[in-house]
Amino acid sequence: MATANPLGIDLDQYQWGFRMPENYVFKSRKGLSREVVEEISYLKGEPDWMRAFRLHSLEVFFKKPLPTWGPDLSVIDFDDIYYYIKPTDRQARSWDELPQEIRDTYERLGIPEAERKFLAGVGAQYESEVVYHSLKEEWEKLGVIFVDTDTAVKQYPDLVREYFGTVVPPEDNKFAALNSAVWSGGSFIYVPEGVKVEIPLQAYFRINAENVGQFERTLIIVEPGAYVHYVEGCTAPIYTTDSLHSAVVEIIVKEGARCRYTTIQNWSKNVYNLVTKRAVAYRDATMEWVDGNLGSKITMKYPSVYLVEPGAKAEILSVAFAGAGQHQDPGGKVIHAAPYTQSSIVSKSISKDGGRAGYRGLVKVYKGARGSKCAVRCDALILDDRSRSDTYPTMEIDEEDVQITHEATVSKVSDEQLFYLMSRGIQEDEAMNMIVRGFIEPIAKELPLEYAVELNRLIALEMEGSVG
Amino acid sequence: MREAFDRATVDRLAELWQGPEWLRQRRQQAWELFRSLPLPPSTHEAWRRTPPERLAWDGLGPVLQERGDEVAQQGLEGLRGDGPALALHNGAVAGSWGAERLRQAGVVFCDLRTAAREWPDLLEPFLFRAGLRAEENAFTAQHVAFATGGVFLYVPAGVELEEPLVVADWVDGEGLVAPHTLVVLEPRSRATLVQRRTGPGTGLVNLGVELVVRDGAQLGYAQLQDLRGPVREFGVVRARVGRDATVRTLVASFGASVEKLFVESVLDSPGGSSEMLGAFFADDAQHYDVHTLQEHQAPHTASDLLYKVALLGSARSVFAGLIRVHPGAQKTNAFQSNRNLLLSPDARADSKPELEIMANDLRCTHGSAVSRLEEPHLFYLQTRGLTRQQAVHMIVEGFFSEVLDRLPVERVRWWLEQKVAEKMGAEAPLGRVAALRGLLEEVAQRR
Repeated sequence: MATANPLGIDLDQYQWGFRMPENYVFKSRKGLSREVVEEISYLKGEPDWMRAFRLHSLEVFFKKPLPTWGPDLSVIDFDDIYYYIKPTDRQARSWDELPQEIRDTYERLGIPEAERKFLAGVGAQYESEVVYHSLKEEWEKLGVIFVDTDTAVKQYPDLVREYFGTVVPPEDNKFAALNSAVWSGGSFIYVPEGVKVEIPLQAYFRINAENVGQFERTLIIVEPGAYVHYVEGCTAPIYTTDSLHSAVVEIIVKEGARCRYTTIQNWSKNVYNLVTKRAVAYRDATMEWVDGNLGSKITMKYPSVYLVEPGAKAEILSVAFAGAGQHQDPGGKVIHAAPYTQSSIVSKSISKDGGRAGYRGLVKVYKGARGSKCAVRCDALILDDRSRSDTYPTMEIDEEDVQITHEATVSKVSDEQLFYLMSRGIQEDEAMNMIVRGFIEPIAKELPLEYAVELNRLIALEMEGSVG
Repeated sequence: MREAFDRATVDRLAELWQGPEWLRQRRQQAWELFRSLPLPPSTHEAWRRTPPERLAWDGLGPVLQERGDEVAQQGLEGLRGDGPALALHNGAVAGSWGAERLRQAGVVFCDLRTAAREWPDLLEPFLFRAGLRAEENAFTAQHVAFATGGVFLYVPAGVELEEPLVVADWVDGEGLVAPHTLVVLEPRSRATLVQRRTGPGTGLVNLGVELVVRDGAQLGYAQLQDLRGPVREFGVVRARVGRDATVRTLVASFGASVEKLFVESVLDSPGGSSEMLGAFFADDAQHYDVHTLQEHQAPHTASDLLYKVALLGSARSVFAGLIRVHPGAQKTNAFQSNRNLLLSPDARADSKPELEIMANDLRCTHGSAVSRLEEPHLFYLQTRGLTRQQAVHMIVEGFFSEVLDRLPVERVRWWLEQKVAEKMGAEAPLGRVAALRGLLEEVAQRR
């Protein structure tokens, strides 16, 4: 390794860890107040109902306490954060129209390659607003809407107003309230009845200014019988002071529809990542969350699915990797509120170099949700004796006619496995890598190819120097 | 007789106990804490599902029983063989058998008030210190300040007791009864203590059990609860397990209206091991909330927990079990299993099996399941001539048999089967496989 640095990453080698000089059109004042929220709403030229929603949410935010459980969040200074930054004045339609430095950022992230691979659409969030957005024409013809949420508020006000805030109301928790008050950017996706979007829709998100909170707001509506796979990938440059990311994702999956939402989160290791993600699944609908958490200082994220009509299904796959100074507290929630609903949660966590990773979840079966089934499986791998793994599943069962199981194991990489691989001529570090890759395989194989590759590459990066 | 929760009562209890000065001081300190500590907030994770107000003592006061009544001996029924036994009535002695014989081996087995008078030096290092402390919360402070009596077992180094010792706590009246159990097993000794708590009480029980198992010792401890009145109960059962020592606990609850228990094993020396069994069967509107802790503080320690909960009527149960492995506790083996059987559409079970692991060279698993009666199973049994009620009973017995089969004391197994039968409204246990055979023969003869 080159020069030692607190994050243990060779900055020259770390492809995603770079930083561009700031050049913003508008930067709001630090801190949070009624004025700041009104200013955000004014600058965005929003309708009155949205401004009222924001102001109401701000009141809720001030009233709500921080969570009393989980990682310590008391160090977050809400007055030391910029709540809104607008990188350019207008939306760019094509790559060439983008400012040079923003383009450079994305060059390094490989977005043009993604384009060349005929990916369906690329919505890229640089700072707080989506600046680059393209959508393949065929989807537009089918009536699929894939825009940033700010645009959606202007262009599809009726659709947005019908669903916005219905899945995650501002009253849900302190950070949902914060997001509701100052949200900016995020994706809005609408898939009409019966339309199957075969190629995943993708968006890259980035944070680039010190003390910038990113509060994107994503809303996905999948009409009956439709299908969509949305991929959210985050990589962020490295900074010295703490930064806050607090998104809200709301998904509505209607009768017989299917939605998959994939995240590979690799915020830099000073980001507080406090995200509320929730989906509602109606009759015979399927909602799948695939959630990989590698970066950030603290992540608290519990993607949830409300199964509200018979036959609805939920699947949550979660991978967490915690290295030095990291606390990954992801998990999942499934609420069985209708009969014959099914869910499955699989969590894999790895901790290393004093990191702390785990699973926190809830399975709730309401009375009357007869014939419901749920299986939860959590596995943890601890790579050294300084690291920590936590498993906090909760099961609340109000219905008799159910099958609910939970299993968890915690173990280390066994000497036998290492010995076997090394006896076949594999170097120790590569053997360790293979075992870890095998451990997360059940989740990696659910990812689109390029993300699986990226996940493996990121884990290999994290695993560097883990042997000897 | 019922008293208020005041300084005068603390002093009166001290008089009743006639204990040493240090004990009076510990209780007075606890009383000061009790006065200043609020109830735990119901927003606290450990209390969210059973608000502490449900165990509040408004209008109650400690029951000060000077002398035990013979009625308390009922509690020993069926559990007592010829071996040593002790009957307590709201903490006061109501009968004692076989203690003199034990004394010859250096074993002390008596009620706590007697122990405080005659064996203060044996108590001093452990009582309200080793397993339970007044400063934990308002309930433990109350327990220490107002402990009404209890039992003390001391087994000297190397002494092995084959016969189980039996204690019955008879709880009646409508005030607070705070029984305390202190067991000290010196190195390489061995003993089994069976403690049953029953009676028609309607007030509050605040229980404290301290189990000190020193290096190489082996303790079996069964705590059987079938309080008959609408009494509410708070309790802490905590074991400290020494080097290469073994503790095996069983906690079985059938009675009381609300019960909140903390059952914990602290493994602070290498080679310690703990088996924790639980059998809970609630009906009507009974509410059980049990926290378990397997605390691995040293390497090469093992724990194995199996808690089974069956629910009838509109009963509700909460199981919150934590395995915590501290840094450096390598080569730990920890298992935790919680199984819940819902026998009624109105029953409700919550399960929170948790792991906090800070070492890496270990094996740690937990599992939890909530299930119900399977119609095909019931149908099968009914085709063999059982009534539906008998079929359900048989499945419930089978459900608990996993715990029963691991109990070494026949009388405890018998007691558990009786209690299961009572809950099922049956006259007698089916006695599992043997009984099934008898039943099938009977059915065949009737045809």
